[in-house]
Amino acid sequence: MSTATEETTQAESAFLELHKRRQQSTQAPEAVKELNQTGIQRFELLKFPHSKHEMFTYARTAETVGTPYALAGSDEVSEEFVESAAYTVCEKTRLVLVNGFLSEGLSNTEGLNGVAVSGLSDAMAQGEIRDYLSAGAENENDVFASLNAAFFSEGLFIDVPANTAMKSPIMILYVSTGGEKPEASFPRLLVRVGRGAEVQFIVKFVGPGENYLVDAVQDFILEENSSVGLTQIQADPENSRHFCKTRVRQKKDSRFNLIGALSGARLARDHFECRLQEPGAEMSMKGVTVLCNEEQAHRFIRIHHEAPHCVSEQNFKNVINDRGRSSIDGTVIVNQGAQLTRSDQLINNLMLSDGAHADGKPNLMIYADDVKCTHGNTVGQIDGDQLFYLQTRGLSREAAKSLLTTSFAQSIIESIPFPEAIADLNGTLLKKLEAKNG
Amino acid sequence: MLEIKDLHGGFEGTEIIKGVDLSIKKGEVHAIMGPNGSGKSTLSKILAGHPEYEVTGGSVTYEGKNLLEMEPETRALEGIFMGFQYPVEIPGVNNSEFLRMAYNARLLYKDPEAEEIDPLDFDEILDQKMKLVEMDHKYKERFLNDGFSGGEKKKNEILQMAILEPKLAILDETDSGLDIDALKAVSQGINRLISGENAVILITHYQRLLEYIQPHFVHVMSAGKIVKSGEKDLALQLEAQGYDWLTAPAN
Repeated sequence: MSTATEETTQAESAFLELHKRRQQSTQAPEAVKELNQTGIQRFELLKFPHSKHEMFTYARTAETVGTPYALAGSDEVSEEFVESAAYTVCEKTRLVLVNGFLSEGLSNTEGLNGVAVSGLSDAMAQGEIRDYLSAGAENENDVFASLNAAFFSEGLFIDVPANTAMKSPIMILYVSTGGEKPEASFPRLLVRVGRGAEVQFIVKFVGPGENYLVDAVQDFILEENSSVGLTQIQADPENSRHFCKTRVRQKKDSRFNLIGALSGARLARDHFECRLQEPGAEMSMKGVTVLCNEEQAHRFIRIHHEAPHCVSEQNFKNVINDRGRSSIDGTVIVNQGAQLTRSDQLINNLMLSDGAHADGKPNLMIYADDVKCTHGNTVGQIDGDQLFYLQTRGLSREAAKSLLTTSFAQSIIESIPFPEAIADLNGTLLKKLEAKNG
Repeated sequence: MLEIKDLHGGFEGTEIIKGVDLSIKKGEVHAIMGPNGSGKSTLSKILAGHPEYEVTGGSVTYEGKNLLEMEPETRALEGIFMGFQYPVEIPGVNNSEFLRMAYNARLLYKDPEAEEIDPLDFDEILDQKMKLVEMDHKYKERFLNDGFSGGEKKKNEILQMAILEPKLAILDETDSGLDIDALKAVSQGINRLISGENAVILITHYQRLLEYIQPHFVHVMSAGKIVKSGEKDLALQLEAQGYDWLTAPAN
């Protein structure tokens, strides 16, 4: 037996040391500090992934974890920057977290109509929330989420009362400031959506700086018959490192619809875990990724069907140019007793260069006998028949190529219910392709 | 308008077209019939410029120019329209936006100084043309052919023809796979577009289409050649006697 796994690597020691110093100086409330302690213990057990770790088959993290970081504080961010990144539809329902700390000056909660926003430590006064969070930290399986548990200071709790019907979406803007030297921040969000409530969220990751690590964890708890829409946009700069784990728990008849856009970074990894815990729960997840240069974006997805009559749908479209790398490792687990499950998963990759790389691992684990599940993964270049069809209508080869590439991504983007978000992605994500084609 | 002389060509090194001669003048409607595998569709793909099909001999002259030297888009911009047997589905491309792009490409080719059409003005044109092919307006905002039924896809082809107003339309098995109602609607659309100013090549496997569209000439293709040409009666004879009496000697 090798002792290598027992040893603490230099990278792990650096984070442990950072944590020790931080625990002495932090102003975080006691409840949070306790959770931080559970988090760092879990981190020590999990350790950073070695190259054959089953959760990190495709995402190489050595460079990210080997970088020495300072902890990012609650820096100032200009209002102009926030205005340029936020959407006017959320003018009065906007929460801005700078390096994980809520900025009251930049946020606007006028339009929240009874939706309660507080720090996570306040929420932890409720036994239910405290137990939920500590159980999560104790059983964490993702080392980067355990780091978040170890280092988050404040966190945000959004409590949507039963039967609330929010007209405006709530925007959560995660701003990372970065610095001359690499900085790390650990935003944390917990959302509880009460019985019969209906609400839309727009989450966006941005940074005016570069060279940072943002390592976020989000929890969404959906009570019976509630409905949540989530549009999540990863727009960190090319030189950053982005990790986000989103956990969703769904009660009876609840609906969760996620559309996620990844613009990639030096390393971007999005971990999504959804548990359909009671009958009639439905979730859908659509994703679009556009990568250029050396950008990377990886998705790790686990959908657990734990009750009968639940539905999960997933559809991903990735466009990869230059030497970009994308991966989707997605498993749907249908537990024993989860009869009449319906589950579909489809991954489509469009490769625009010889150096582009895409890995797809759609997977099904089924322990029930009356289910309908499909999965598939395609990797291809621009379709010759589609190209020819457009040419026969008078479009030049270049124009037809560009139309096909953008439309491939657009078929996901267009399903976002907010025109501003669509325009934003058309102007950023799709612009990356235009620049290359032109 | 179109002069095909001793055309040879095929696909992946196999010669499928083995010496086709055909002359088409303005105002004419030609039907090309023949059994499966006779080379009808290959001929249409070569005329439209499909990159996977190669020409190994002969010539095609379109309005005095060498058609075979033109890119597929140039052929389209010069006024040739190809109606596909299997129209391609393109999810993500909005149907009406695509039609407007194609319309503008044609507009700017004719006159590089021209201004692109205003979307609202185009919408009016689109409404008129959709009426012509009895197409429901909901298909305007759908993705191009994505999830369309067979009939709607073919109607969408004729709609594109109506918008692009080609000088020469090559319609490859536009009738196959259609039920009678869809066939009537599609044929009616084509009939409304036929004028003394353009020409149409109807490629079909079934005589049925010719009950709705009157061709001036009927040609029978077999084993890569036109083995018989005649007038409309020829189609009736084919329907009654099948292709065997024509194809047997050619083999």
